[in-house]
Amino acid sequence: MGGLPHIMADVTLDTKHTSPAGWRRVVAFSSGSALIYVLSFLIGVAVWELIAAQLPGVVFATPSEVTGRLIEGLANGEISGAFVNSLRHMIVGLALAIAVAVPLGFLVGRNEAAFHIADPIVNAFFAIPSVAFVPFLIVWFGLFYEGRVSLVFIMCVFDILVTVSAGARNIDRAMLSVGRSFGASRWHMFAKVMLPASLPFLFTALRIGLVRAINAMITAELFFATVNLGAYLEEASARFDAAGMLAIVFLLALFGLGAQEAIKFLERRLLPWHVRN
Amino acid sequence: MSNTRKRFYNALGIGITLLIWELAGQYMGDALLAPPSSVAGTFVELLFESDMVLKLIGSLQLALAGFGLACLIGMPLGAMMGRSAVIDALVHPWISMLVVTSVAAILPIYILLFGTGDQFRVAIIFTASVGYIVLTAYHGARGIDPKHIDVARAFSTGRVDTYRKVIMPALFPYLITGARLGLVHALRAMIVAEMFVISGYGGLIFHTGLDISTAPILAYLLLLMAVSLGANMVLQRIGQAAAPWYEARMQRA
Repeated sequence: MGGLPHIMADVTLDTKHTSPAGWRRVVAFSSGSALIYVLSFLIGVAVWELIAAQLPGVVFATPSEVTGRLIEGLANGEISGAFVNSLRHMIVGLALAIAVAVPLGFLVGRNEAAFHIADPIVNAFFAIPSVAFVPFLIVWFGLFYEGRVSLVFIMCVFDILVTVSAGARNIDRAMLSVGRSFGASRWHMFAKVMLPASLPFLFTALRIGLVRAINAMITAELFFATVNLGAYLEEASARFDAAGMLAIVFLLALFGLGAQEAIKFLERRLLPWHVRN
Repeated sequence: MSNTRKRFYNALGIGITLLIWELAGQYMGDALLAPPSSVAGTFVELLFESDMVLKLIGSLQLALAGFGLACLIGMPLGAMMGRSAVIDALVHPWISMLVVTSVAAILPIYILLFGTGDQFRVAIIFTASVGYIVLTAYHGARGIDPKHIDVARAFSTGRVDTYRKVIMPALFPYLITGARLGLVHALRAMIVAEMFVISGYGGLIFHTGLDISTAPILAYLLLLMAVSLGANMVLQRIGQAAAPWYEARMQRA
């Protein structure tokens, strides 16, 4: 895609430099950079503590209060129960988006005519913030589970589509030519050439889609009928309970980062030939 | 594929979409999905006889304030991260966290911090866009060819000149890309925040959603889409005009 979605697919959440040499280094704790990461964390928390100490407790909470609230909520089931429920519509919405966007992405990426037909439409949809569709989704799917699934779907489907189509378009031509000149059958071309060449960007699409789905999960819980984590956030805000709200914000951010790292780890394990960095 | 052919396919895509929308709209009725034929009339009506445009301009001013702040802080920060390993290690984990943080989740806490007025909206827009601007500038600064800097050093170019004549031109395409990316997220955040507290243009969309016909809300979405696409095109043009090497560089990236 020539326009905006293309750069989104390229740069969005492209955190492959997040931790140079990956988490192994952090785990091994051998090099100096691990120390800097710990330092970064400590300095960040200290700054946060300082800021929080200046502000009244109803407005902002200290790191220790937030951690305490998070552990308490996870242990007594108040946060963990809501979180598990939230995952339900997230996973269903994401699965639907993948089922639609991956085949469509291949079609658009491998067929020139389909690409230029889809290009303006995808650009147009991309330019509209997904939440703006919420009033529609309420009319069509109601305020509850189906509505939330539909928002997760809408919020991930274009990101995945754009990533897959960009990847499919950039499959190395030489590889396809080699397959063809060795007389590979259609099935062989698909199984031995196309699929392995596609796995790297399919993983990228999954990673981008997942982070977007987590984002959509909480958005849906606040903009439709408030339930689960969204309800926890609303109640905390009604009580002026800053620690409770920040606990959810950090839970979601850590979940997003964790999910992203997990997919990168899987990628390294399953696609050792695809060397990053 | 020739340009005319591309244009033809583009037009075909738009045509097919409009046709499907029209048919679906006729079938489902205005209450569920207004067809383009009735949206067009509503759009013109709203354009001249309501405060749609004024509301949008008001919201965009706040979006620009938040986005401008994000550029002002994010671009130098990203560039410094790219050139210094220590700054990178100190800041990067927090930026990564910021980028995965959902805008919706921080709405309640920002209301406590900033209230529900302009400050709140600017703060949300800033938070939502700054991470992307930082990361793009970072990738740009990291990707600067060391050979170019070596050449500058070999010709004993001063620090300031190296910065001005080597680093900035190499960075520029990335700054523009970061700005484009940040702008998309700024507009998204603007709508999220405004729909949450029912104010500005986002509030208009959320309110209207509860009416009988879906024609007005579709008109609002179309205008928003046009503005978003237009703003992006302007940034792209600025990039091309100010740095003709932009296209070539981004194509390789």
